[in-house]
Amino acid sequence: MRKSTKIIGAVGVGMFAVVLLFALFGPMVIPYDAYKQVGGSFLPPSAQHWLGTNDMGQDILAELAVGARTSLFIGMMTAILATLIGGFIGVLAGYIGGRFETFVMRVIDIVLTLPFLPLMIVVAVYIGPGVFTQIFVITLVLWAGKARQIRAQTLSIKSAGPVLAAKTMGASDFYIFRRHIIPGVFPLFIPQFVGSVNAAILMESSLSFLGMGDPTMKSWGSILYYANSRSGFLTDAWAWWIIPPGVCIVLVVLAFSFIGYYLEEKVNPRLGAYTVAPKRPKQHITTNEALVAHHIALRVENLTVQYPKNNAYTSVVSDVNFSVKEGEVLGIVGESGSGKSTVAAAIIQQLRGKAHVPTGSIYFEGQDVKQFSDEELRQLRGQQIGYIAQAAMNALNPVLSVERQLKEAIVAHAHVSKKEIDARIDEVLMQVGLEPKWRYAFSHELSGGMRQRVIIAMALINKPKFVIADEPTTGLDVIVQVEIIQLLRKLQQDMNLSMIFISHDLPAVLSITDRLIIMKYGHIVDFGPSRELAKTSTHPYTRRLIDAIPLLHPKKEQSYGATR
Amino acid sequence: MERLVNIQNLMKVYGHHKSEQVAVLKDVSFSFAQGEIIGLIGASGAGKSTIGKILAGLEQPTNGHIDFDGTNLTALPSKERRKFAKHIAMIFQDPYESLSPRMTIEELVEEPLIIQRIEKNKEKRRDMVKEALRVVSLDPEKYMSRYPHELSGGERQRIGVARAFVCKPKLIIADEPTSMLDTSLRLELIQLLKSMNEQYGISYVFVTHDIALTKGFCDRIIVLHEGEIVDIGPTDDVIHAPTHPFTKSLIDALLLLEGAQP
Repeated sequence: MRKSTKIIGAVGVGMFAVVLLFALFGPMVIPYDAYKQVGGSFLPPSAQHWLGTNDMGQDILAELAVGARTSLFIGMMTAILATLIGGFIGVLAGYIGGRFETFVMRVIDIVLTLPFLPLMIVVAVYIGPGVFTQIFVITLVLWAGKARQIRAQTLSIKSAGPVLAAKTMGASDFYIFRRHIIPGVFPLFIPQFVGSVNAAILMESSLSFLGMGDPTMKSWGSILYYANSRSGFLTDAWAWWIIPPGVCIVLVVLAFSFIGYYLEEKVNPRLGAYTVAPKRPKQHITTNEALVAHHIALRVENLTVQYPKNNAYTSVVSDVNFSVKEGEVLGIVGESGSGKSTVAAAIIQQLRGKAHVPTGSIYFEGQDVKQFSDEELRQLRGQQIGYIAQAAMNALNPVLSVERQLKEAIVAHAHVSKKEIDARIDEVLMQVGLEPKWRYAFSHELSGGMRQRVIIAMALINKPKFVIADEPTTGLDVIVQVEIIQLLRKLQQDMNLSMIFISHDLPAVLSITDRLIIMKYGHIVDFGPSRELAKTSTHPYTRRLIDAIPLLHPKKEQSYGATR
Repeated sequence: MERLVNIQNLMKVYGHHKSEQVAVLKDVSFSFAQGEIIGLIGASGAGKSTIGKILAGLEQPTNGHIDFDGTNLTALPSKERRKFAKHIAMIFQDPYESLSPRMTIEELVEEPLIIQRIEKNKEKRRDMVKEALRVVSLDPEKYMSRYPHELSGGERQRIGVARAFVCKPKLIIADEPTSMLDTSLRLELIQLLKSMNEQYGISYVFVTHDIALTKGFCDRIIVLHEGEIVDIGPTDDVIHAPTHPFTKSLIDALLLLEGAQP
């Protein structure tokens, strides 16, 4: 979690604590009765009356303290009620489903579309002003939003793995509800509650300000109501009569907003992962002539990437060195956590926010990528290096056609006429083995293999000379995997692409790469020409990976001891 | 060998309205004996997972019936059907998603025992959990009080296996249990399943898209294509002499990958 979020959360708690202490102890400490005349009317703030008095000669500080009790009580009470009622209905609707759910959801829709202020006024006038009215009306307005959100959460838990597993164990509905749904949903009640305290306090103040509150009780809203109706704005008294209750309301609302902000990030830690990358100015780029002379398309030198963990840095990539020659296919093989995808991200300078790179240089066509400006990096990504990201085929935009998404990829890098774009899209679709008619399709109309072809088309559309493919066959059926590998191999040969092929799937990698790097825990543990490595490597980890490949027709019994 | 499961004319149609109905399974019939390991092979959408889900009680078939150990499961009221979960367990594809993050390993493995009311005594239940963990080669003392997020993918999948085993079922449905695991762990998991089969006579319905995994593991394989059985037979026979073009293309694809290897 970001430090700033923690500070915001702490400030929120602190602000609320101040108001709470004021509400609890204020009326005991302040020597005046808020309901009695204790001095002249409209007295300005003084040593006796810190916030002065109102038109009736009542001490405003005493009023505020008593009002805090009312406002906080109604605010908290309605927030609790709304969260519990809304949560309960939401859980039931989500879990039971069917017609009951449809009915509840329609009711919620109606409640949510009702204009809240007129509704409150009508209901409040009908049943008469008072604390009960306020609690009733505010709860009536607030529960629907809670029910909706809790229902969404229930739905996702209902179809999640643990619930399915319990079903296969023969669990009854009641068991699943008690053991899985409730514990899963309950933690969400707290942020929901905090979020609604805000709204409840504001509504309470609005209602009281409109005179719908209990006339015998003081609240912040009713102080404002009396100040307004007894011409507080026409005298100098507004400065001590109207501003303090306003400040109190703002303080509480802000306090709960801050706490809510903190809780939201706690419930959804991804929110905190976003950090803004520093600007990269344009500067002179040194070219490593030796690499250019030897036709080395990419050189990675002493690359170490670290991420912060428990106040220290742990290396996910350690001292990695390799080169890719022009027209060569390099395979990077490793199991999850080996750092292979991090290497790819480092090459295109797209490491996650908190990454720390203590050492390492990356030369693309002899140029040090570290010195690239933002604009040059943008050209590198997608223009010079085509990047087939992991699981990208599941990340196609569902509401844009294939054509639109391909077009975006072109327009991001070059100004070309519509005609040229059209021609290029047709051409690239043909290259990846899709008929041009598929340009109008949306991602849900395509099979997994076709979507992967679209992703490859996107990577190739700006005619890069270098392609990085991160797990391009994962999640596809065997037949489709083979098709994709053959396609990549063919494209690579036709266009003389340099390529990095990253995968944990050794058979796939062996069938397409010239050279191979085996990674484990961030280190390169073995490397060499692919076939030779598979045949003769004596490194125990490489052997283990290769021996674990299930074969249909093993050339010998699945033990490779004799080849050593 | 005694017949354990007999599936007759199984059909599954999704969608309520006629216009949007999709038949995922069209008239599938097969049977197998206690102790037999069956591989269900097919591309995505072939209906292989649906058969597994129906057997595990997660889905109701549209038509057809399933005979399990002499009882017609499809005719049972849901309360009675649920009791059969102690005989038919399931291992899920995703070892990360299928274990509740809020439960300890002990609670996770214990859950089937509580649901099926197999043992009331907490201490005896704990012994059964320990036994199940030992079967999957995880040290109970080390793992019982830990949470899933502290475990690696391979360890989690073993927890899934222990949970499936704890009731001593006759049949375990394994739905692509290796697909989220790293290559070197796949073989280990298959070996574990195989050893449980040999020791306890547990049958498996092993759902996978990778026919190579079934070799040496499954006794028979069934190849599904668009909701129908296109090939069925002893594993080696199907691999060496596939009859249907789909099976052939599946095997050709794999051989192509293998051809690239030393």
